[in-house]
Amino acid sequence: MSLQEQSDVSVAGVDADRLGRPVATGEVTPTGSATSTGSAASRIRQASDDAPSASSTTISTANQSYMDATLPWDKFSNWVHCICVVTFDLELGQALEVVYPGYCNLTATEKMNICYLAFPDSNSGCTGDTRFHFRMRRFSGKSLNTAQEAYDQRAPVYLQTDPVHYFGFVHFRQTKDKTIPRGYLQKSVVLVTLLPLVNLFTHVVETIAPRFFESGEPAIEAACHDIDQWPAPQPGVTFNLPLMGSIVQCRIPSHYDMPNYQKPLVVTAQESTHLAPTLLPTVHEPQLFENLAPIVPHLQLLWELVLIGEPLVAMSPSPTHCSGVVQSLVSLIWPLRYCYDYRPFFTIHDSEFKEYTSKTQAPPKLVLGVTNPFFTKTLQHWPHIVRIGDANSGQATTAAAAKVFKKSTDGRTLDTKPGLYSQYKPFLAKDKALLKRILKGAESQRPVEVQSMILRRHFLEVTQSFMIPLERYLASLMPLQKQISPFKAAPQARRFDLEEFLATVADSGPGLTSGLKGNWTGLYRRFVESANFDGWLRQRRKEVDHKLQLLHLEVLCATDFSECDLPARHEVELVDLVLKLLDKIEFAESNPDSVSSAQRTKLQAQMRTILATVDEDLKSVLMSNMTLKQTVVAVQ
Amino acid sequence: MAAGPYNYSYIFKYIIIGDMGVGKSCLLHQFTEKKFMADCPHTIGVEFGTRIIEVSGQKIKLQIWDTAGQERFRAVTRSYYRGAAGALMVYDITRRSTYNHLSSWLTDARNLTNPNTVIFLIGNKSDLDAQRDVTYEEAKAFADENGLTFLECSAKTGENVEDAFLETARKIYQNIQDGSLDLNQADSGVQPKQLPRTTPAGGGDAKQCNC
Repeated sequence: MSLQEQSDVSVAGVDADRLGRPVATGEVTPTGSATSTGSAASRIRQASDDAPSASSTTISTANQSYMDATLPWDKFSNWVHCICVVTFDLELGQALEVVYPGYCNLTATEKMNICYLAFPDSNSGCTGDTRFHFRMRRFSGKSLNTAQEAYDQRAPVYLQTDPVHYFGFVHFRQTKDKTIPRGYLQKSVVLVTLLPLVNLFTHVVETIAPRFFESGEPAIEAACHDIDQWPAPQPGVTFNLPLMGSIVQCRIPSHYDMPNYQKPLVVTAQESTHLAPTLLPTVHEPQLFENLAPIVPHLQLLWELVLIGEPLVAMSPSPTHCSGVVQSLVSLIWPLRYCYDYRPFFTIHDSEFKEYTSKTQAPPKLVLGVTNPFFTKTLQHWPHIVRIGDANSGQATTAAAAKVFKKSTDGRTLDTKPGLYSQYKPFLAKDKALLKRILKGAESQRPVEVQSMILRRHFLEVTQSFMIPLERYLASLMPLQKQISPFKAAPQARRFDLEEFLATVADSGPGLTSGLKGNWTGLYRRFVESANFDGWLRQRRKEVDHKLQLLHLEVLCATDFSECDLPARHEVELVDLVLKLLDKIEFAESNPDSVSSAQRTKLQAQMRTILATVDEDLKSVLMSNMTLKQTVVAVQ
Repeated sequence: MAAGPYNYSYIFKYIIIGDMGVGKSCLLHQFTEKKFMADCPHTIGVEFGTRIIEVSGQKIKLQIWDTAGQERFRAVTRSYYRGAAGALMVYDITRRSTYNHLSSWLTDARNLTNPNTVIFLIGNKSDLDAQRDVTYEEAKAFADENGLTFLECSAKTGENVEDAFLETARKIYQNIQDGSLDLNQADSGVQPKQLPRTTPAGGGDAKQCNC
């Protein structure tokens, strides 16, 4: 299609969108009712004043910008799906006021969820500013863009995206405003993204929201413009990200980092001369102590519940607190990924409310964070409930929440005392030394960051002690080198066998690396039934299969086919060999990182050797296959 | 321990034949990828597909040759039949002409393969029942007359596709078991007329090249 056609027909429309004129979505309300066209139109605001002129200039240069240039919003969408403003309208209820970018793809259900999740659920004591985050289901497909796919390849498993869930980071403000009917302003800035970089995006929203409340939409537009300058979110790289006149320096951990590795961020002299960057020591780690202080005595037990995927709900009066608690709980099992759904902030309006609170089925395996007292009754049948008082009430809460209440069906769960409600008998004994250490730290005013670090390190060690025997067993399932033959497919590792694995635990179990006493075998039995185990095994299998493909490829390269008496072999077998080589050449092309170009050339040379050896009949048959023909022609 | 699928005991060669546009490549794609290919390009020459299946506890690798249906490729296509253990002969239930040509395809299949080759008749596009041009009964009668197994399939919905490929493999395997398919003959050193050739799982075969 000619470029002329393109610019005549479609450029104007596309460009207007591309340049970020926000679409007024005020007509979308949680109840789905539409406002009159008049009021919708009055909500339309032109985000960028120069949009019309810009789109007309783009037509003349369409040629270039369409072929190779990065379009506006392209880089933005690597990091952020959209930034919204949700307001409380007296007539409409929660309403989506503005969405950047305007063309942003959100389904009606997604919009509805954003609207409800953007506000505290039982909003009474939330005067002033409140920040929290949520997760919601993504209904508009599950595709990732190229940068996000690249991110997933290099990010540690527990930081990889979940393509069917968005994160939403909220800054909510409630203030008296006499100019508004009823005298209150209630508004939220919400950033929606697929990347689980909780600290980074909390910081971003905390930077944008106050400016927005000060100077309105241009603040959001400016922030979007800044984010649109950010390089691709590549794990392992230290970034200096411009944001509203400041620089955020941070680093996304990489899959290849050592466990617990934290690269120190350093201010370079050049930058410090004019603009000191804000250092974000971690983009993703929730502050364990800050969030979990009241329930430190239960953490060992909670670690088990998260590990084996038990239904768990955290109740707290504050959305900030409950989202922090849930995020911290699922992070306890890092470097394992928590593979079930979890909702740091869940409300009665959520589209999954019915599904998740149904009493006709067993409670779903997930971790929920809720604030609405209504859930006390709704989730009464859940086996494990953590109830935390207001974080602001201080030390008194710490002591109170240390209680364990045996859950029973007689309605005692309607109790509102802080504490853990569960009948679960942990497999492992409590680590009293850790408790003592944390308690002492609290008494001696040890900084919360240090307290958090102690907890983080402890649970990292426990998780690793738990996983090392599994890793070791998995390594023993690898096939032997001599089992790899050019005339067979790449071998596969043997299947995981629970009993066989458990037999190894007595001698080389977690006892070697962990001082924790208890029934490790029982814990393994529960763990292998969980999605967390499945996720881990699937990931490892992928890595092992990749490795075996590489070994097989090496064997195919190293085989001297002239000594294999190919003409004596049967056609079917020769075709099979040729197809295998074709497969490997394709594998080499799609994995340039792990296959050298010398190996690729060698594979093609092997293909030529084989084709030269087989009889003419078979050769002409094979060459009538287009893929093969192209491969061979490409070589010559 | 569980044997990995790389330890297959046999390779069976299949060919898929039939008029242009009856859905040969789509059947193959549905069988190997479990997906329907909406805009399938014309096959030129031959395309290959493989999948490992299990019959009576034995792992069998199917090597499927998908041929060009266009008449002008007919002469080339004939060179593909040799040594096929199974032939899937496909027509389109919504186009009578593709059914009428079956006898000519069957002649080729009979002449160019060995007597033990299992020939399976497939009436494809069973999802388009409203546009049907060939009744099930008529095709069934044709199949019975000629000693063929017959199924109507849909490469689009996947209906019966799996069965057609698996049933063919079962019959071939049965022929090996009852001795009517002579594997030693295949090992005679002459280009085998018959397939399959055994590829022992343990790698104990003297001819196995592990170098």
